[in-house]
Amino acid sequence: MLTRLLARRLLLGALTLLAISLVIFLTAEVLPGDIAARVLGRESTAEARAAFRERLNLDQPVHQRYWLWIQGVVRGDFGQALTNDREVADIIAPRLRSTLVIGGVAFALYIPVTIVLASLAAIHRDRALDGLISVLTLIGLSVPEFVSGTVLLIVFAVIFPIFPVMSLVDQAETPLEALRTLALPAITLTTIMAVYAIRMLRDNLIDVLDSEYVRMATLKGLPRLQVIFRHALPNAIVPALNVTALNLAYLIGGVVLVERVFSYPGLGSLLVDSILLRDVPVIEAVALLVSAIYVFANLFADAMAIVLNPRLRAG
Amino acid sequence: MTSPVAERSDSNPESAIGWLPLFARLRRLPPGALIGGLILLVYLFVALTGRYWAPYGPTKTGTGPPFAPPGREHLLGTDQLGRDVFSRVVHGTDDVLLLSLTSTLIATLAGGLLGLLSGFLGGWFDELLMRLFDVMISIPLLVLALLVIAAAGPELSGNYLLLIGVIALVYTPRIARMVRAVAMDLVTRDFVTAARTRGESAWSIALRELLPNATGVLLVEFGVRAGYAPILIGSLGFLGFGARPPTPEWGLMISENRVAIVTAPVTVLAPAVALALLVIGLNSFTDGIARLLGRSAQRSP
Repeated sequence: MLTRLLARRLLLGALTLLAISLVIFLTAEVLPGDIAARVLGRESTAEARAAFRERLNLDQPVHQRYWLWIQGVVRGDFGQALTNDREVADIIAPRLRSTLVIGGVAFALYIPVTIVLASLAAIHRDRALDGLISVLTLIGLSVPEFVSGTVLLIVFAVIFPIFPVMSLVDQAETPLEALRTLALPAITLTTIMAVYAIRMLRDNLIDVLDSEYVRMATLKGLPRLQVIFRHALPNAIVPALNVTALNLAYLIGGVVLVERVFSYPGLGSLLVDSILLRDVPVIEAVALLVSAIYVFANLFADAMAIVLNPRLRAG
Repeated sequence: MTSPVAERSDSNPESAIGWLPLFARLRRLPPGALIGGLILLVYLFVALTGRYWAPYGPTKTGTGPPFAPPGREHLLGTDQLGRDVFSRVVHGTDDVLLLSLTSTLIATLAGGLLGLLSGFLGGWFDELLMRLFDVMISIPLLVLALLVIAAAGPELSGNYLLLIGVIALVYTPRIARMVRAVAMDLVTRDFVTAARTRGESAWSIALRELLPNATGVLLVEFGVRAGYAPILIGSLGFLGFGARPPTPEWGLMISENRVAIVTAPVTVLAPAVALALLVIGLNSFTDGIARLLGRSAQRSP
């Protein structure tokens, strides 16, 4: 039953991804007209453009080109980059690793930060600490990540040079040094995810704290922390999982900006660079990969919610 | 985003829908919304009148030495080309307001209409549209925006119509899904059945029966999206895909002045604070309105 439900979600995710690949392909290749003129420049000769079209299979109809592309993608072959003759997959692999590292660190920070701050706010509800956390999270919601990242950079890399200005994680020699280069971008990403989740989890926690079984636990004389962590939190966290899935979208959008702020060599900065260079195969590959990460992260959050909340299994 | 205890006591869901009760309730706005409203009024004032009292033109170079510190001549200093940062921040206000509000308005109208029709008609129209919108929502917002801008090509980069179109495009599916859910609930009500029995057309039912009852959700959706639009515009400008130099766009200014982050941090902080305050104003105002309407202003990507 459970496995069938999860298998169905997985299939749906794969189908969504296939549809996304079509949207990305059509947007990147068909909308703008002549790719050859766009890449080679308006002054390029007719022969150069013809040769270019042949190399990219541009002389074939759209559906055949898509078919060729998607066949390659399934095998992990994204074709060749236009601006240098390297394989797109080879360009992407190290960038993907960097982005997964920074996203992973941010995510690992996000969970405890959210739980601790939301619990604090819920315990002190409608008092000074709750108000402070509410104001701070509202500000956090309103400050774009490239602004908060830049401010962090000014404070912790310029005024107090604790962290490096450029996060060149590749050049770090020890794990400790790598962590130091990762700290500022990871903190920025954690902030944009945590602010919203803290508000949601606080509201959920307050609802649960008002429920009868939690009152019962309190009246029984259980210690406050035990009531919160053993009785209230597990029930408040399930709705917050959806927020976490939502947050992944912010994490992925945020990665593009944060990598730019800290000159971090990940997928986001690769996307920006390849758009500036108009390198269509790289743009397509990165956009698809990023969407795939997003779709499967959502799927994972769904699956977790189903596993944790038996009532959802009926659906 | 709301604390469920505080504001539900006085909100009667029946009277919370519609226009007149809304205005009657404005007097009971929570303090956060009042502050937000005041911030928005200041921004509106600056946007409308800033060009008359800003000390320098937004693109006038050499008004002082490059990266001059803040002082009497230059309230917030100057940038690399000796342009007055204060004047540039002031002049940037009208564009960001205009772009955010138009694009969000277009998306709310398009998304609202499509959502209502989809929820009301159901069938293949609903199925097809929602599957398409699901796919569009599954591509991270900023990535989709960048893709469309990349596809439009360099000739159109910085074009305001393109920016408005891109923001409207990424918002429409999200608003439509929200409104559709409301419409699906409304079509089961008696007044819709009555209208159907009277033989009214789908358009008439969508516009005259469903729309007035979806005003609340549309208003909140508009506010939430309008609150994120300046961030999106600033992000695109910061990445180099929004407004073109020498436009005094805040995101672009942040990215231009980043070279002087050590020597003249004010030139980076000024547009950053202008942007953040605007979003804070929009968000707190929306939050207050949403609470009046008995809804929560939920953020979704």
